[in-house]
Amino acid sequence: MQRLILRYGYGYAMRTFLRMFVGVRFDNARFLLDEKQFIIVANHNSHLDTMTIMSSIPRRILHKVKPVAAADHFGKTSWSTKLSNYFVNTLLIQRKRDKDNPQNDPVNRMVKALDDGYSLILFPEGTRGEPEIQQQLKPGVAFVLSQRPHIKYVPAFMKGMGKAMPKSDSLIVPFSSSILFGRPKSISPSQDVASIMQQIEEDFRLLRERK
Amino acid sequence: MDKYFHFDFLSDGELMAVVYVIFGILIFASTLFFVVGKVRPKANLVELKSRTRSWWIMASLVLTAVLINTTLCYIALAFLSFMAFRELYSVLDFREADRRAVFWGYLAIPVQYYLAYIKWYGAFIIFIPVVMFLVLPLRMVLKGETKGIIKSMSSLQWILMLTVFGLSHMAYLLSLSPVEEPLLGKKMLLFLVFLTEINDVMQFTWGKLLGKHKIVPKVSPNKTWEGFIGGIVSTTIIGYFLAFLTPLTSMQVAFVSFFLACSGFIGDIVMSSVKRDIGIKDMGSSIPGHGGILDRIDSLAYTAPVFFHLVYYMAF
Repeated sequence: MQRLILRYGYGYAMRTFLRMFVGVRFDNARFLLDEKQFIIVANHNSHLDTMTIMSSIPRRILHKVKPVAAADHFGKTSWSTKLSNYFVNTLLIQRKRDKDNPQNDPVNRMVKALDDGYSLILFPEGTRGEPEIQQQLKPGVAFVLSQRPHIKYVPAFMKGMGKAMPKSDSLIVPFSSSILFGRPKSISPSQDVASIMQQIEEDFRLLRERK
Repeated sequence: MDKYFHFDFLSDGELMAVVYVIFGILIFASTLFFVVGKVRPKANLVELKSRTRSWWIMASLVLTAVLINTTLCYIALAFLSFMAFRELYSVLDFREADRRAVFWGYLAIPVQYYLAYIKWYGAFIIFIPVVMFLVLPLRMVLKGETKGIIKSMSSLQWILMLTVFGLSHMAYLLSLSPVEEPLLGKKMLLFLVFLTEINDVMQFTWGKLLGKHKIVPKVSPNKTWEGFIGGIVSTTIIGYFLAFLTPLTSMQVAFVSFFLACSGFIGDIVMSSVKRDIGIKDMGSSIPGHGGILDRIDSLAYTAPVFFHLVYYMAF
């Protein structure tokens, strides 16, 4: 049932809404079908970001993709946890690392989801922040990638979402926005965290400048 | 079935003649570029071909919306305004504090088209120039952010005038149909859209063929006196022969067509200057080969009110 809701909810209803009403220009993401597993790494300005990425992913594999979200925001109550897990298929993690309690540690939980066969959507900026301004990237994604170097990451960059629905305001004011995907990329096992983050920064920069 | 699909246009010879002419032109253009591409493979026709392909889609969409169902036509026109509004709002630099006022601006679109639908002329003609003109600044003032408020107030009003007020005159044309001739509004709408687009194409073609003396080189280096005059003459002649679509006499139509050609040109260069100010080539990328919606309907936003008021004065 959840699979059907995700498939039709995002593949048709949400996609049509985003395209016709908000004015999102989608990028072709059929190449994701060639990857067994992937981590989509995207910039973050708006709640519309997750919706746009989910609506871009080919319907057939949508139920195997989990957006990673902050438990302190989306899991405030048991109801909101259930709703976001069911309708957005989220993986709720805490923001801070937890050395004493490995099962609760965000990096371990993301690695476990990958081992369970899921793909992930990650926003390394951590939070939505000021509209259209990129913040310092957090290194969590690099920890995950260096633990599972065979899994490719896919950079995605969105423009205009922070204008259509910024953090400060929950009203959607239609604004022509767009999403662009980069090619899937892998890291080499010898790369350290800093150089992985640098590589992702560079991917974002290239996508931002692409028309 | 007949409730939702109005096929009465099929038995109207005059309307069908225009439909045939439109598709005839498209078939001619497609064949021409195909043959030229075969004969002279070196000729760069990529843009012309993608433009023609987009013309096919646009013509089919317009004809479907206009002819099949009258109520649908109002909705389609309102949606066109909405897309044009969104496109222009997205390229002009608004402050975050303006979001609520801009949202009210969006809400004005269904209201304006509803006023056209219920044929309340008095309200239709003042809703945006007067009511919205007074209300939208108030919404910005209530927000309390005064830095840059003049620019926001004036840009928002200008967007509304251009993309909603101007274009909504197309919808009011539909409401002008008298009871004894229910298709008249659709005919006039087709006349307006067809002639405006033909005028664009004619000015472009004459400019390419003969263009030498630039009119406003700083704004739009492609606009020449030769293209402008060639466009006006061709449009006036074509309009003269399409007089059967309007309730006017042939001489009146030639007069109206002349003004329509001039205002189309004005719309075109005004939008060019806006694009030049922002530093972009196209308003968007929704129509392959043409740019955004606004790149195609910029002249329509100017011709629609001019055509409407001339016809309204002369015939109603």
